[in-house]
Amino acid sequence: MGVITFILIGSSVALPAVALWALWWADREGQFRHADKAALLPFDDQEPVGRMTDVVLNRPSVPVASLKP
Amino acid sequence: MSAPASSSVLAALSPRDTAISGARAQLAEIDESCRGPVLLFFLSGMTWLLFGSVLALIASYKLHAPDFLGDFAWLTFGRVRTAHLNAVIYGFSAEISVGVILWLMCRLCRVPLMAQPVITVAALLWNVGLTIGIVGILAGDTTGVEYLELPKYCTPILFLAFTLIAVWTIVIFRFRREKHLYVSQWYILAAVLWFPWLYSTAQLLLIMDPARGAVQAAVNWWFAHNVLGLWFTPVGLASIYYFLPKVIGRPIHSYYLSVLGFWTLALFYNWNGFHHLVGGPFPAWMITISIVASVMMVIPVIATAINHHFTMVGHFGKLKHSPTLRFIVFGAIAYTASSLQGVLSSVRWFSETAHFTHHTVAHAHWGMYAFFTMTMFGAMYYILPRITRREWPSEGLISLHFWTTVIGILLYVVPLSWGGWLQGKAMLDPKIPFLEVVKVTLPYLKIRTVSGLLLTLGHVAFFANITWMLVRTFGPYREPEPMILAGVGTETAPIGK
Repeated sequence: MGVITFILIGSSVALPAVALWALWWADREGQFRHADKAALLPFDDQEPVGRMTDVVLNRPSVPVASLKP
Repeated sequence: MSAPASSSVLAALSPRDTAISGARAQLAEIDESCRGPVLLFFLSGMTWLLFGSVLALIASYKLHAPDFLGDFAWLTFGRVRTAHLNAVIYGFSAEISVGVILWLMCRLCRVPLMAQPVITVAALLWNVGLTIGIVGILAGDTTGVEYLELPKYCTPILFLAFTLIAVWTIVIFRFRREKHLYVSQWYILAAVLWFPWLYSTAQLLLIMDPARGAVQAAVNWWFAHNVLGLWFTPVGLASIYYFLPKVIGRPIHSYYLSVLGFWTLALFYNWNGFHHLVGGPFPAWMITISIVASVMMVIPVIATAINHHFTMVGHFGKLKHSPTLRFIVFGAIAYTASSLQGVLSSVRWFSETAHFTHHTVAHAHWGMYAFFTMTMFGAMYYILPRITRREWPSEGLISLHFWTTVIGILLYVVPLSWGGWLQGKAMLDPKIPFLEVVKVTLPYLKIRTVSGLLLTLGHVAFFANITWMLVRTFGPYREPEPMILAGVGTETAPIGK
């Protein structure tokens, strides 16, 4: 039981410590700034904002780019 | 000056010291690199889903026809229901999660999947371990601890396999070509760290060297609740936050809200499990803290719901064209609904009636199926054509899959939630004999079997579509490159029928 207790206490200290380190690291790296830029990360030159990327059903006879609201 | 790549393992894992450096990878290159490992996880996950669906049907039918297959020890309710749960949790859900995690991580890090054999070995190990475990359960060898019923001789294999996956996910992240993290990456990195912690802690305290008495129940609920909330929920939310904007071509409504949702989930969810022990032999403060934390979950849930809804506003017409969007939007709505239902279920007055009833079973399926599984289906509809470079062969099978699963899960959750509530009310009335309480639940259990049939039909349709697609990809006759995929992202894509 001694080893298990040691592991459990160790992990319950280590995990919050990792979370705090992640917060500190994210702040230092500027991860919480430039939210507009971060929101664009799923997009790139090949699949930019403004284009629907999954047209499988009821395919319209118009270009993908024109599928806007 | 950096060390040569071969100088040490650590050096080989350094982005600065390897050939994989410099420019971001093209999407096609990333998809190609993921093909083998992700397909392996998806196919084995889908096989487990079909197997688990059959087991679920048998178990569900037995609830209102107890003599059904009663002469076969391997198919008694206690074994079949347990095998179903473990097949769909550790087979389907976990394996599809890993496939989605790997693909998403590579896409968002802008790097191809490196050293694919490591992931392939992890997938094989996971399936070998799970097969041994499920056979063990059907043979009557279970631990009897909910969500941890797999016999202890198979868990080290599963743990080793998942450790490989977690390490490799972090390695992909280490090699990233994009400095900024997207919110999906926060969720994924947290999930791959949380699960080994949850699993190993629960194994140590419940299986290897079991705690005594009521503590077992506390640890059991801590694990069972968190495996849903800190492993599958982050994977589901990571997928929604990626695919929703990606499909409609519009960034997420508020990035700040999405980050707030992540950190508040990380802060509050871990405490929630004990609310299932209302009325149990535990210190009042322990249950109360859990209830408070459960109610605080309103913050990440509402933040996420607002974000998803306002991202979709003005784009609902696109549901007509995208199977990914249909499943993902259904999953996102179900996340909000099931989470708020969970908050309500944690409150003492509600829990005193609803716990120990079918209401809890309905709630679990609301979260694990309506939210998580539907989201994973949506992710697979997006990923599979891109890694195989083939279109979905049948629109009819897609529609069949969507509508059978939507109707099936609604038919499961809504009546069973109400039936569970009536069951709870009846159980609290000392004048009602227990057999009458059982009779109260019978209509709802029969509806549950019908819903199970619908869900299974949907799974078969999906599996048939995937098989058809793969036959086109790897079979003797190779279809020409898909028109839709070739046209995705181009202004002039000819996408008429």
